[in-house]
Amino acid sequence: MSTHDTSRPDGAPAQEFLRLQGIHKRFAGVHALRGIDLTIHAGEIYHLLGENGCGKSTMIKIIAGAQPPSEGEIFIQGERVAELTPLASLSLGIETVYQDLSLLPNMSVAENVALSAQLVRHQGRLARLFDRGALNDTAARALRAVNLPATAAFLDTHVDELPIATRQLIAIARAIATSARMVIMDEPTTSLTQKEVDALVKVINGLRANGVAVLFVSHKLDECFAIGGQAIVFRDGEKVAQGPIQTFTKAQLGQLMTGKQLSEERYRVDAQLQKARLEVTALTRRAAFEDVSFTLHEGEILGITGLLDSGRNELALALAGVEPAHGGQIVLDGQRLSLRAPGDAITHGIGYVPEDRISEGLFLDKSIRDNIITTILRKMRGKFGALDAAACQRFSVDTVRQLQIATPDVDRPVQSLSGGNQQRVLIGRWLAINPRVLILHGPTVGVDVGSKDIIYRIIQDLAKQGMGVILISDDLPELLQNCDNLLLMKRGRIVRRFEVEGLSESDLAHDLVSEQSHEH
Amino acid sequence: MDASTLTRQNAHTDTSPALPPRSAAASLGALLKKNPSLFTFVLILLVVVTVALINPAFFQLAVLFDIVRACTTLGLFALGVMIVLAAGGIDVSFAAIAALTMYSITKVVMTYFPETHIAVILLAGAAGGTALGVLNGLLVDWLKAPSLIVTIGTQYLYRGILLTFVGTVFFMNVPHAMDQFGKLALARHDTASGLHAVLPATVLVLVLASALTWWLLNKTLMGRAVYAVGGSLAIAERLGYKLRSVHLFVFGYAGFLSGLAGIVHVSSTRLANPFDLVGSELDVIAAVVLGGARITGGHGSVVGTLLGVLLVTLINNVLILAGVPSTWQKAIIGGFIVLAGAVFALRREK
Repeated sequence: MSTHDTSRPDGAPAQEFLRLQGIHKRFAGVHALRGIDLTIHAGEIYHLLGENGCGKSTMIKIIAGAQPPSEGEIFIQGERVAELTPLASLSLGIETVYQDLSLLPNMSVAENVALSAQLVRHQGRLARLFDRGALNDTAARALRAVNLPATAAFLDTHVDELPIATRQLIAIARAIATSARMVIMDEPTTSLTQKEVDALVKVINGLRANGVAVLFVSHKLDECFAIGGQAIVFRDGEKVAQGPIQTFTKAQLGQLMTGKQLSEERYRVDAQLQKARLEVTALTRRAAFEDVSFTLHEGEILGITGLLDSGRNELALALAGVEPAHGGQIVLDGQRLSLRAPGDAITHGIGYVPEDRISEGLFLDKSIRDNIITTILRKMRGKFGALDAAACQRFSVDTVRQLQIATPDVDRPVQSLSGGNQQRVLIGRWLAINPRVLILHGPTVGVDVGSKDIIYRIIQDLAKQGMGVILISDDLPELLQNCDNLLLMKRGRIVRRFEVEGLSESDLAHDLVSEQSHEH
Repeated sequence: MDASTLTRQNAHTDTSPALPPRSAAASLGALLKKNPSLFTFVLILLVVVTVALINPAFFQLAVLFDIVRACTTLGLFALGVMIVLAAGGIDVSFAAIAALTMYSITKVVMTYFPETHIAVILLAGAAGGTALGVLNGLLVDWLKAPSLIVTIGTQYLYRGILLTFVGTVFFMNVPHAMDQFGKLALARHDTASGLHAVLPATVLVLVLASALTWWLLNKTLMGRAVYAVGGSLAIAERLGYKLRSVHLFVFGYAGFLSGLAGIVHVSSTRLANPFDLVGSELDVIAAVVLGGARITGGHGSVVGTLLGVLLVTLINNVLILAGVPSTWQKAIIGGFIVLAGAVFALRREK
């Protein structure tokens, strides 16, 4: 069911706007898109669904011209486009609203809305006069279309002074100003209230009625059903389904997104939990999370999940001492801790493996050895305080063996490894401090299935040795396969606690996306 | 319910969707944010009033003419640095560009074409400066290196070329046309003490350059692109702005102004010294920052920059009238910069 016959409500056939054929995208070591065929019709709403790392963002970047595909063809209104640059994509009528909205904080509302239109009209040539009068006219017209005021004062306001919901609408106004034929919105409702979402949906429906195609990327299934249109489901870089969203149930979509892993074995088997290792009480960080309490036992694997804005990331950073909590207490093996900086966490044996291993974790151009020993430089001191090269070598070779990192030697730069192996180097670095608690944040994002299996087995081994493991993840099967207990966070609070044994994914998926939160 | 989320959401929904609520205390901050040059203006007033109270002799035409003369070269440099800062870069090679062009051109004109018209000399200076500036821009664009590093490098390069290949001896006599240009007066004034003060015509170069810079920044798409790139390089690229064009333009334009500044400098001092202008870099950057441009990019205006230049010139030239030892001038500039940093940092906090 790859290409789907889409018709407008009145029965007239909709016009094809965008067609992708056999799109592949390969990054160093990762095959992010594996032969995508996709057709987008004018005046239709699409929901691109899939787990993190399934290739959605890559797909969007290709359509927006931000990244070229490795293989495949792109047709816009029936004509093949040889090379899609950001400007070409814009001038062909595709407006991409990324999560950061692509607004320039130092410029006025009018400029953010209408400057692109002038840029497109002059085909990106900058040696042209800038027409402020036309800018204001275009901006005012576009702002009215999204129900924002078109007053001179508002046109002149800097974007960084405005609330997020208004910025969202300004980004859509920009699409209107450039006469976009297709608007892509990446998780537009993540930080909006229900009222703001309703306002947004109204504007979107206005666009649609004018023949604009809208492609949503969202994790909120309830919203997708409320908005209606076509669902497109991606999994591991492939399109696995497309069709009117009403023909699916939420459970079916969940199953399509997560795929065969649903039926896979549970790695976790009958763990005995007795002694408390980490007790967190009423932990709070303003505007991030509030009143978070839980106990992590020796040998326990505790999962924490929630949407992007749920506060789970901030909680992890607080436990790692990166963004310290403002209130509450953390007790580790009976000792009360004050975690003000990453160094505090390391001293007390709390290891944190960040989600974004590229920017937060690894020194990509340094060797595997240097990356592994970086947390234990002090222990590696030899004579006269210099590093003991032999000890470093021994230690890193041991780690590579223990974690089954596929490399001929430890001198290679980390960037030469695949995603899964890079992740294991990062885990190895934290094992070096002999952690009592290990926090793993999205340990298998962008990691292929085989590597996932190895990482899961490593995690189970660590727990068996008595380490307390906190696993923060979006990947529901991953949590179900690995954890003893699971915390669900929403709006900065823990809203539900689950015992994982016997829990089904559809229950969990439903709770994750449902709007009403069950207080514990 | 989460209290902090609630307040945040209320702030969004209860007021008009467009503008966030604004307290009385924040309105001063908002005013400063809209017009950062207001702060510069207040500092200028402060200096002027202080000096005038201590020494009423400050208020005379001769002092004003002196200040204007001293502003010219600094102003040309500052406009160039401002436009680079607005685009999110920084240029510290402008003094070296000016020195190389002014000395080379003076030497060539003296040796081969002593009768060259001043317009041609100014054009040659502008062209030479532009070429060196474009080279900066190309390097920044190709190497994707921080412009601070690139221009520190080219600064040594340009200076090295000057001293190695062009010459180290300074000319006591400059070409006739430059000499005349430097002496040309827009206005004359004879003081009571029998001295005559002159408003030099070289200031016209600064006036024209300011007008051109203002026009480029506010009336062309390139001007908008400069601020867009300065606001966020990544977003500007995504929106289809051509980063290379912007880089070449801002560094080329800064070079263009530096070339002019070099010629103006030689004309008004009637001396071509290859070791001149060295060390003026921080004064210029200080003036630009005091004028409200941000070191992080995306901001800067012609009016603010000119005010910043005026402020730095005042401190360098007239504090002496108030009996402030010249060794204190740097300390006062430093204090003002720290103060400006604090004020501009505070205004960003909501």
